[in-house]
Amino acid sequence: MNFETIYIDYWQKIFRLCMGFTNDAHAAQDLAQETFIIVWQQLSNFRNESSLGTWIYKIATNNCLRQIEKEKRFPKAEMPIHLTEEVTSNQEPKIQLLYAFIAELPETDRIIISLELENIKQAEIAQIVGLSEANIRVKIHRIKEKLTKKFKEHGY
Amino acid sequence: MDTNQINFNELWSKQESTPPDIKELSKKIHSFKRKNILRIILTNVVLAGTIAFIIFVWMHYQPQLLTTKIGIILTVLAMVIYIIVTNNTISLFKKTTTVASNQEYLQNLLAIKQKQQFINTTIMKIYFILLSIGIGLYMIEYASRMSFWGAIVTYAITFAWILFNWIYTRPRKIKKQEQKMNEIISKLEEIQSQLKQE
Repeated sequence: MNFETIYIDYWQKIFRLCMGFTNDAHAAQDLAQETFIIVWQQLSNFRNESSLGTWIYKIATNNCLRQIEKEKRFPKAEMPIHLTEEVTSNQEPKIQLLYAFIAELPETDRIIISLELENIKQAEIAQIVGLSEANIRVKIHRIKEKLTKKFKEHGY
Repeated sequence: MDTNQINFNELWSKQESTPPDIKELSKKIHSFKRKNILRIILTNVVLAGTIAFIIFVWMHYQPQLLTTKIGIILTVLAMVIYIIVTNNTISLFKKTTTVASNQEYLQNLLAIKQKQQFINTTIMKIYFILLSIGIGLYMIEYASRMSFWGAIVTYAITFAWILFNWIYTRPRKIKKQEQKMNEIISKLEEIQSQLKQE
């Protein structure tokens, strides 16, 4: 497998996933880059036990979860918590809202919905997260309901 | 649901970010590699430097008593153990990142954190004990050449200092570490509870 191809194929997806987790373009960019550094380091260990996508998403989501440990090292107050200027300028508010709402969810829900919105099969999401498929389905349904409700509260 | 339902998938995919030039990434990868190597080198330099210093003391001052030699060995041992352990815990993470599901990963992270907490306090204790005994033994030879009161004062000052560190510095350090660690652990546990099967 060629790293450069993977990078081009997956950058956008991984960035969005990290963006859903943090709702902070800078942080998401850093997280995505970290993910690809790990991918690059571990690529030789990838044995096709799962699909390449599942493998990369596992790395990305686990890396996101690891932030908890790092956040404690760097106090959160120093980091921009909400939308950064550059992202706000060129996007319709609905997109911003969606990412903001997702980033407000519990950590694992953020991961689950991000993967779902990336059109990943629920069986695969179940593998990545480590829950049963039925469970994932229920969770996705609830999260979508929550998001719809939040949008309604904001007049959409 | 009503008709004007929002298409989340469509909104989601509109978030665009141009991938940074792969050159930038490879630069990062290289600096990352360099940093890693640098860290290893630094650790080893510190280790080697300490050992070299001790050997120098050993050769230069030619200690006569066995206690001095044992003291030196214990002191070095304390430092070596401390450095090795504090370095090792960092690498515990890497192995689990890629193959585990989120749930397994969280479990690993939690186990590692708990182990780390245990190691921190235990190693700190061992470090202090070895260091105190080491210094105590090391000083015997030199104290024996002093006057009686000189020796008493030297020992008193040294052990007052060690005692101060044991009673004041050590608990504070442990408390600080524990506080930080407990926050992380409870956050991890909270996330883990999000994944309870329903």
